[in-house]
Amino acid sequence: MSVIVKEEPLTVKKYFKNIWDSIYSVTKGMLITFRYVHSEKPVTIEYPEVREILPDSSRSRLFNDVDNCITCLQCSNACPVDCIYIAGVRRDKEAPKMKTTSGHAIRIDLTQYVIDTSLCCYCGLCTEACPTKCLTHTTDYEYSQYEPDGLIYDYLEPEVKAWKDRIVN
Amino acid sequence: MSENKEKLKTELLTLNMGPQHPATHGVLRVEIKTDSEIVASAVPHIGYLHRCMEKHTEAVDFQGVIPFCDRMDYLAAMNMELGYVIAVEKMLGTEVPRRAEYIRVLISELQRISSHLMFFGTYAIDLGAFSPFLYAFQEREFILRIFEEISGARLLYNYFRVGGVAEDITDGQLKRISDFVEKLSGELEKYHNLVGENQIFINRTANVGTLSKETLYDYGVTGPLLRAAGIDWDLRKKRPYSIYEEFDFDIPVGQGEKGVVGDCWDRYFVRMQEMHESIKIVNQCIDGIEAGDITGKVPKVIKVPKGEIYVRTECPRGELGYHLIADGGKMPYRIKVKSSCFTHVALLGEMGPGQLIADFVASIGSIDIVLGEVDR
Repeated sequence: MSVIVKEEPLTVKKYFKNIWDSIYSVTKGMLITFRYVHSEKPVTIEYPEVREILPDSSRSRLFNDVDNCITCLQCSNACPVDCIYIAGVRRDKEAPKMKTTSGHAIRIDLTQYVIDTSLCCYCGLCTEACPTKCLTHTTDYEYSQYEPDGLIYDYLEPEVKAWKDRIVN
Repeated sequence: MSENKEKLKTELLTLNMGPQHPATHGVLRVEIKTDSEIVASAVPHIGYLHRCMEKHTEAVDFQGVIPFCDRMDYLAAMNMELGYVIAVEKMLGTEVPRRAEYIRVLISELQRISSHLMFFGTYAIDLGAFSPFLYAFQEREFILRIFEEISGARLLYNYFRVGGVAEDITDGQLKRISDFVEKLSGELEKYHNLVGENQIFINRTANVGTLSKETLYDYGVTGPLLRAAGIDWDLRKKRPYSIYEEFDFDIPVGQGEKGVVGDCWDRYFVRMQEMHESIKIVNQCIDGIEAGDITGKVPKVIKVPKGEIYVRTECPRGELGYHLIADGGKMPYRIKVKSSCFTHVALLGEMGPGQLIADFVASIGSIDIVLGEVDR
């Protein structure tokens, strides 16, 4: 049971004091408000016309550069929500040797690299685990879809591959 | 005539506040029985935001638990992470580098400021003032932007790691933070004049929702609610964790300036003063920060030895406790979270009876609940 404090009876003096207090405190507040009318600049961004450029470290849509992926599965192991699905086949010994730009030898051919972005929690643990740094968070934030299926990205598809440099401008 | 009066049937009106009521800060449903304008009883119903966080953590490795900790109290995610990483580090016996400790304290105090700014804004909305919310967000935006640059996200950071932090903080960022807090100190005074000293606000909050000290002790209330009632209990001071014992700051307590000790106005004012104390700590952090590593020696695959530990930290809303049980494997055996908001929601049943409905809204706002932490 909360403590209920009984109010003191209203006297004539108190009545006028209340009026004075209200006018005084409202004026004090309004002075601050009026200052914002003239001397302060707006802080908001008018979104569709002006697009904000996020800092480089910002974690937004995931992008995997599949040419540099060595199918080590470390990203999918690190993922706390298990939204990365990877499959690969061992490379033939006769096949020409391939290397990533970071110098890692590619021993497994990637056959599937799918991320269900609708499940992704953007924690960044996968990009931290990636040894070749091919999996990165881009700063692109405009990729909403009408259906959840559209958020399942297959990074081997040429269409999604081309998104490497797609960043809001 | 008197016969008619006896026949008149009166009953209490049941009213559901929420789950989508704007004054309930998320998806809290309070079932209140009203006698005209007076609340006769209030029963909070929770569980609308339950995500099985504790069960989920049993299936992910120790590093992967941190994103789940973020999602408990989404307004103070850094503070949520801090308690968890301290628990794991104590179990592992890891030594955290001094620089990482400084960054952790700095970041958690900035987060405390941003969380209290959010309280300031939403509480003003609860009481019918809209523009303070925008002022609060203007300041909060800077903190979020700094966090975005450092950690990569605006709300759910996943920044603290077992043994340190994820990214280093640059001197340029420290300079910007120091400039910001200097400015913020003056701005907070201005906002306090705008809201806290306003006669309408005082009339709405003074002498409202006061609970006796005994009730608060019985319910196990912590944080600003307890301090507003005049009890100087702050874990950062009384049971220091991390490197809090090195900093010089005070524990603001409620004085009953506008009404009785522990009313809604005191709860508001304690939080406003706490922001000033946090600014003190941030300044000391920036002055004292040392160069060095940001992560200690932690194996890539963390295996915590068998055992259990209970760690509690002071979050913006009160004490947060992690009871971590490990069985020697890669994943935690059990994580039990003691959240302050869960305790505080129970207070609504205590505060409600005898209040006006409008005062009850002020009471809900004053305990500053985040439902993500209540339901987990």
